[in-house]
Amino acid sequence: MKPSITIGKSELRIDAKDKVTGKAVYPSDIYLDNMVYGYTIRSTMPHAEIKVDKIEALAYPGVIAVFTAEDVTGENHHGVLFKDHEVFCSKKVRRVGEPIAFVVADTMDTARKAAKLVKVAYNELPAVLDPREAMKENSPKVHGDSNIIYHYKLRTGDIEEAFQKCEVVVENTYESSMVDHAFLQPEAGVAYIEEDGTVTIVTATQYPHYDREEVAEALGLPHNKIKILTSAVGGAFGGREDITVQIHLALAALKLGRPVKTTYTREESFQAHSKRHPLYMKYKTGALKDGTLYAMEAEIIGDSGAHASWAINVLRKAGVHAAGPYCIPNIKIDSYAVYTNNPFTGAMRGFGAAQVPMAHEQQIDEIARRLNINPIEIRLKNCFKVGSLTATGQTLEESVPLTDTIIKAAKEIGYEFSYDSNEEVQP
Amino acid sequence: MNEQIRFNLNGKDMEIQADPSMRLIDLLRDELRLTGTKEGCGEGECGACTVIIDGITANSCLVLISQIRDKKVTTIEALEQEALKKGDELHPIQQAFIDAGAVQCGFCTPGMVLSAKALLDHNSSPDENEIKRSISGNLCRCTGYKKIEKAIQIASDYMKKDGVE
Amino acid sequence: MKKRGKGIGSIFYGTGYGNGFPDVSNACAELKADGKIYVYAGATEVGQGAKTALSQIAAEAAGVKLDKVVLVHEDTSKTPDSGTAAASRQTYNTGNGIRIACEQLKQEILSIAKEALGTNTTMGIKINNDMLEVKGLPDKKISLQELYIEAEKMGKTLRVDKAFVAHTMKMDDETGQGAPYWPYTFATYCVEVEVDTDTGKVDVLKAVCAQDVGRAVNPMLVEGQMEGGFAMGMSWALYEDLGLSNGKIKNDNFSKYIIPTSLDMPEIKNIIVEDPESTAPFGAKGIGEPVMIPAMPAILNAIYDAVGIRITKLPASQQEIVRLIQEKENQQ
Repeated sequence: MKPSITIGKSELRIDAKDKVTGKAVYPSDIYLDNMVYGYTIRSTMPHAEIKVDKIEALAYPGVIAVFTAEDVTGENHHGVLFKDHEVFCSKKVRRVGEPIAFVVADTMDTARKAAKLVKVAYNELPAVLDPREAMKENSPKVHGDSNIIYHYKLRTGDIEEAFQKCEVVVENTYESSMVDHAFLQPEAGVAYIEEDGTVTIVTATQYPHYDREEVAEALGLPHNKIKILTSAVGGAFGGREDITVQIHLALAALKLGRPVKTTYTREESFQAHSKRHPLYMKYKTGALKDGTLYAMEAEIIGDSGAHASWAINVLRKAGVHAAGPYCIPNIKIDSYAVYTNNPFTGAMRGFGAAQVPMAHEQQIDEIARRLNINPIEIRLKNCFKVGSLTATGQTLEESVPLTDTIIKAAKEIGYEFSYDSNEEVQP
Repeated sequence: MNEQIRFNLNGKDMEIQADPSMRLIDLLRDELRLTGTKEGCGEGECGACTVIIDGITANSCLVLISQIRDKKVTTIEALEQEALKKGDELHPIQQAFIDAGAVQCGFCTPGMVLSAKALLDHNSSPDENEIKRSISGNLCRCTGYKKIEKAIQIASDYMKKDGVE
Repeated sequence: MKKRGKGIGSIFYGTGYGNGFPDVSNACAELKADGKIYVYAGATEVGQGAKTALSQIAAEAAGVKLDKVVLVHEDTSKTPDSGTAAASRQTYNTGNGIRIACEQLKQEILSIAKEALGTNTTMGIKINNDMLEVKGLPDKKISLQELYIEAEKMGKTLRVDKAFVAHTMKMDDETGQGAPYWPYTFATYCVEVEVDTDTGKVDVLKAVCAQDVGRAVNPMLVEGQMEGGFAMGMSWALYEDLGLSNGKIKNDNFSKYIIPTSLDMPEIKNIIVEDPESTAPFGAKGIGEPVMIPAMPAILNAIYDAVGIRITKLPASQQEIVRLIQEKENQQ
């Protein structure tokens, strides 16, 4: 092989110098002349009808404007798959933390103080907080007529017959938790109007071009009148996929013709962005006497919270990866994404495929224990190799060094096991 | 309500008129535009706003400016000045962070670098445990801390070599 | 009493949006007057190292050193859409877009050089850092800066726009059969833990992380991802709890929402496993997500190995572990 110029070399990070000197510009580091500050008022109820009265807040010294649903110049919505977020809640809130108004004032402190004067009257509605309950017909509905956003079905082989042939069948239910990305840099941004009328938003985002589309639609402007500048991003992990500050800032800058800035506190950051889908995973896994995984069945229910965000893709990815990296000829998997009035969930590192190993890896260990087989050997026996078929029937044609990762990691931690040394890829 | 407050910032004597209950981080960022000091939580848990006050690290989000009277405050911006005086581009700790791959998103980095400086200024040859302890008040979500610990080890070597020269 | 145990977690991970969703990364490469190659792609540097890794891919494809590449990715008015910085897709997808654009740009640079240096074929020219030399006659050469001027004289702009479209197909609605993702990345992590049966505290003592990367564009960046991924997975397994109650997050700051500090982290041994993927840029697969995934199940299996309890609800908090140990003792 030709020696490479740079591939394979531990080149020093191009952005590192700016970061070690403190010169890298994150959105909260931007200060512009004539700039004003915005603070977001958020729902405190999981499900309620609302009425907003902003008169008192508008009279507070230093307050420049209070924006609510009626002020949105384009479509009062956004969302990556479905437009099921409102820029500002118009009639109902569907989760705690949903934005209701954006108070703009001459300082951040004034905006926060004035926010307390915006009166939100809540008429509380029954909330549904467990996705298993939310799937029932008589449950309170979050959007529309059904809370079920998506159902993925995976079917291969014949599980009824296969389970009967199994020497051991392990059944268990697993619940993975809802967690936060907890990136270190809380959401922040600045928006301003350029000389040619372009609305520019400087923020930390994972997908600037998609943000541009969402801002354009909410403002009712063509997307070439919107510019997203990506600042340094203080971690993301999926939590900067959905809109947070972008539309509020752009709208305020457009209406006021002045630069507008906002910086969330840590507490607000927790309320503002998506979370990891907690999954309720009911697993049944069967193996033959020799440790061959032979059948598995799973029902996986994911809590999407009050918005769909990436729920379809996440629960699909959970379903596709639910059997784990193992060849199992008989499989039935059902995965569901379900609305509730919980905080909304979306993209987070691993995206559905991160939750299911909680189940499949404990199931295979339990099978090994009951069959008195070494946990490493049962993995080596069943795991994907070049030419293996996945649960969806896809042939893995190349670059499948799973065996190698198992052998190397297991040896290093001190497991004793036997294996065919030909399986180990030599570096 | 404003008071006169004298202190030393990054080697320079300062005299300001300000509300003594102002948080140090707001003075640094909003008034003096030293934005290398980051705010990650506002309650002293994450360490992104770490500065050094009279040789000891502090969370500048928990320090009121009345508490810095006649004290020496060091922010990340000081390290470059220090390096420039020696004819270097970067302080050895900063260089070590780059060389060890200790930087990812970078938001915790200035605070980490200052925690490392406070350690190495007092202890030129810290052991592994002392290094871990020195940054235990600085959260990082990206790196798992390993390369940061390595960087501090390397920095200690760089600084010793610097001292010899 | 303190008891030790070992655990293993193996996983696979399909890159990209999947299921036939259009997964496109546009990229543009241009030679500018300063003799540098400017690459435009709307791919965000979120801390994962995209700016560096994508620049390395560009440099390799164009045949120049890394410092001759400038990656512009921060402005939607200047960059084409390269998709999201998620789904572990930037190295593979945008990396491929950039690779294709830079390879094409290299060909166009070589044809200008052929004219300028008077060779009869581009095969007779090699790129040596920022110089284009006639093979065997290294004194006959032209710099990239001079070449830019030559191209201008010829009325040619050296700018290439390309798109990479990932292979993904919609699955069957009833059976879920199909080829939803490509490529897949694999990983196995093993851990050793110590469980205090009185307090329920779990200390992870050692972690071994074996990660398939296809090919490591930048091993130091890969290791940084692996260590950070392990920390996040460990944190999910043992600590993180939003304290959700009636739809409200109670643990909304770092005094209540616990993530690991340096003192919580075990010794980590990284094993980078390389097995190049033919459709990937220089064989490199995305690893941003897979590096986190095996940590949690490996820790849960190690807890079982240590004290014989199955964690079926996250997090494996101290209270939960004490509860499960007591439950087990009561049953016996």
